[in-house]
Amino acid sequence: MSTTEDRPTAEGRVGEARLGSLRLLAASPVTVAAAVVLVVVVIVALTAQWIAPYGINDVDVSRALQGPSGAHPLGTDDLGRDILSRVMVAAGTSLQVALVSVVFAFCVGVPIGIVSGYVGGWLDTVLMRIVDVMFAFPVLLLALAIVAILQPGLATTMLAIGIVFTPIFARVARASTLSVRVEPYVQVAQTMGTPWYRIMGRHVLPNITGPLIVQTSLSLAFAILSEAALSFLGLGIQPPDPSWGGMLFAAQGFVSQAWWMSVFPGLAIFVTVLACNLLGDGLRDVLDPKQRTRIEARQR
Amino acid sequence: MRRAAPLTAAVAGLALLAACSTGEPVDMGEGTGSGAEGGGQTLHVAIGGEPDQLDPNKTSSYFSFQVLENVYDTLVETDANLEMQPALAESWDISDDQLTWTFHLREGVTFHDGSEFTSEDVVYSYNRIIDEELSNAWKFTAIEDIAAPDDLTVEITLSQPTPNLLSNLGGFKGMAIVDQANVESDEITTAPVGTGPFSFEEWTSGDHITLTANPDYWGGAPEIAGVEFQFISEPSTALAALQSGEVQWTDVIPPQQVERLQGEDQIELGVAPSSDYWYLALNEANEPWDDVRARQAIAYAIDREAIIQAVSYGNAAANQLAIPEQSIWYSEYSTYSTDLDKAQELLDEAGVTGGTIDFMATTEYPETVTAAQIIASNLEPLGIDVEIRQPDFSTWLDEQNSGSFDLLMMGWLGNIDPDDFYYNQHHTDGTSNAQGYSNPEVDQLLEDARTETDQDARYDLYAEAATIIADEASYIYLYNPSVIQAWTPELAGYEVMPDRAIRFRDVQLMEG
Repeated sequence: MSTTEDRPTAEGRVGEARLGSLRLLAASPVTVAAAVVLVVVVIVALTAQWIAPYGINDVDVSRALQGPSGAHPLGTDDLGRDILSRVMVAAGTSLQVALVSVVFAFCVGVPIGIVSGYVGGWLDTVLMRIVDVMFAFPVLLLALAIVAILQPGLATTMLAIGIVFTPIFARVARASTLSVRVEPYVQVAQTMGTPWYRIMGRHVLPNITGPLIVQTSLSLAFAILSEAALSFLGLGIQPPDPSWGGMLFAAQGFVSQAWWMSVFPGLAIFVTVLACNLLGDGLRDVLDPKQRTRIEARQR
Repeated sequence: MRRAAPLTAAVAGLALLAACSTGEPVDMGEGTGSGAEGGGQTLHVAIGGEPDQLDPNKTSSYFSFQVLENVYDTLVETDANLEMQPALAESWDISDDQLTWTFHLREGVTFHDGSEFTSEDVVYSYNRIIDEELSNAWKFTAIEDIAAPDDLTVEITLSQPTPNLLSNLGGFKGMAIVDQANVESDEITTAPVGTGPFSFEEWTSGDHITLTANPDYWGGAPEIAGVEFQFISEPSTALAALQSGEVQWTDVIPPQQVERLQGEDQIELGVAPSSDYWYLALNEANEPWDDVRARQAIAYAIDREAIIQAVSYGNAAANQLAIPEQSIWYSEYSTYSTDLDKAQELLDEAGVTGGTIDFMATTEYPETVTAAQIIASNLEPLGIDVEIRQPDFSTWLDEQNSGSFDLLMMGWLGNIDPDDFYYNQHHTDGTSNAQGYSNPEVDQLLEDARTETDQDARYDLYAEAATIIADEASYIYLYNPSVIQAWTPELAGYEVMPDRAIRFRDVQLMEG
């Protein structure tokens, strides 16, 4: 965060730095592959309702449990529904849940973290103890409790995962704010009488984006996993709407007869989560100043 | 919670089935008592879960009854033809006015703790159920007095003729005769003392319960040394245990596995029709389901064949009434067929234009979730959007009792006498009438049938009531599933009971 390039004092240099980051990202084949996979998943998710070969609820028991074939490339499930279509539509649900919940966590957690880190004192203590309390619960347990209190469903799932991820963002934002707070440009702004909210928005936030971006991409991966877990437990997306976790749950009783019922939704989760994680790794390499210097040195 | 009893518990009722009647499990038969203690090996079996407690009069868990079936006795008990046979009572007389039943008890029966079994034990057990208002107390509503004139006689006085008294007394081990000292020491919940073929040995929580053969059993000591019930909820684990010989018997078998298992040499598969039934119920407290036409529309819209195929893989019999074909109470009924035009017509008449249905399924019974999805796709063309909920079973029961549902699917297991289920579920004052059905004509028929002592007349009353119930779609009956159990060839003499009673007293274990 303290490299000369990241200083937001000159707009031109910020633009340059961003371009440089992109160039560095593009140089890593793994990161590029991960990004491509994610782009494909997003495109499929957005267009699934038009390009899916069958309706997601086309129940036809007479063609139940058919293996992969020309008509059903990924086979059919126990109610004769096309698994390919359901996996495609479920991609939209999974990404939607992941995105909304992470945006929620970001929008709530980051302000808490910045205020906590910047203001310090008793406010910091109070906010961080609350965050500690939330951290004390295992992620899934807390999400389960929230879903159990509210009615299971799409919105509840998003809210539950969002709440569970909020303290993570608060922690990351606070830690970065603490280091930025003592930077000369913040202190200069303070002596010049810039209002606190302006300092947080204009000077602190832009300088802690690196770790936040990395945290966001990693959280997306975990949000997809959490949604799958909740749906697997019957507390996430409710049938007949498809979700990857829900499809895995339904496949449980058929593992020995219809491997395709579990393998394909499982693969979808695996590939998407892996891509998110690899992209997160790639971003961290580029946005972490120490790593970045190393990469740049290697390239020269 | 009322539903829990018939559902998971009353599983030891009986279903009138003539299909698998090879032996006479009631009488002593070939059990000569020669292989008492140490004579045989211990039988290992896998059941789907752990009992909540072992007090037969209090538990409502089928897992408890699977164990207790082998520990306790009732005055009379069901046989494989679902007729009532002597057990602790050797014989009985009925007074001419049908109001006094005198039971003559078996002599020389002892509890596992060595104490003598007498008529006082019967009086104590029944009064306990009545006085403490235990979940089966409703079976005793007609009983005015239970007396013990001497050690081996029990006299039951009734307020009205009760033709199904025997099935009320012996339909399942929920009415078992317990030992007073065992109850008062409170040990009955964890270490029950009965008069049955096996005595309780140990209970390792989360793992197994062990029973030991009772050498003094009145029906002759079992040939095996004992039974160990392991708790295995995961079907693939249970099947693996069966295939490896770790257990010799299990009922943890999903219906979709039946076809595959039929081809296996090392597994004997027992598939028999049961008296269980599964149904849909529409909440008549909610509009538009108070309109009989709206309910009938749903009955016409659903694809019964698809539902049955998807939940049972051919291991169930379609039925538009509760009682299966094998039963002496069976009456024919086939009004409904999948007919969307008819359904639309009925909805139009009722003035229903689409809307949403809150379908309450539960993951505890996966068939409800499967069927819900089929019904959702069946009702889509009618503009009805089915929203599926799948709460855990205890929430499900609460929601049912408080009426927070539009549509639900559930099953009743181990049904014996029509009074057990028709009255409770469809009489205006029925204890399980969660859907809120009320028809004075049906009420009258059910009340009359309750006290009608002529079997033919009683049959007609129930057939008529059942027809009205189905016509007015108080319940939309779906199917009678099969009992599915599997064992290894080493286990001989085991018989699948249509009421899901699990009896190991007459089995032998061959050298593997």
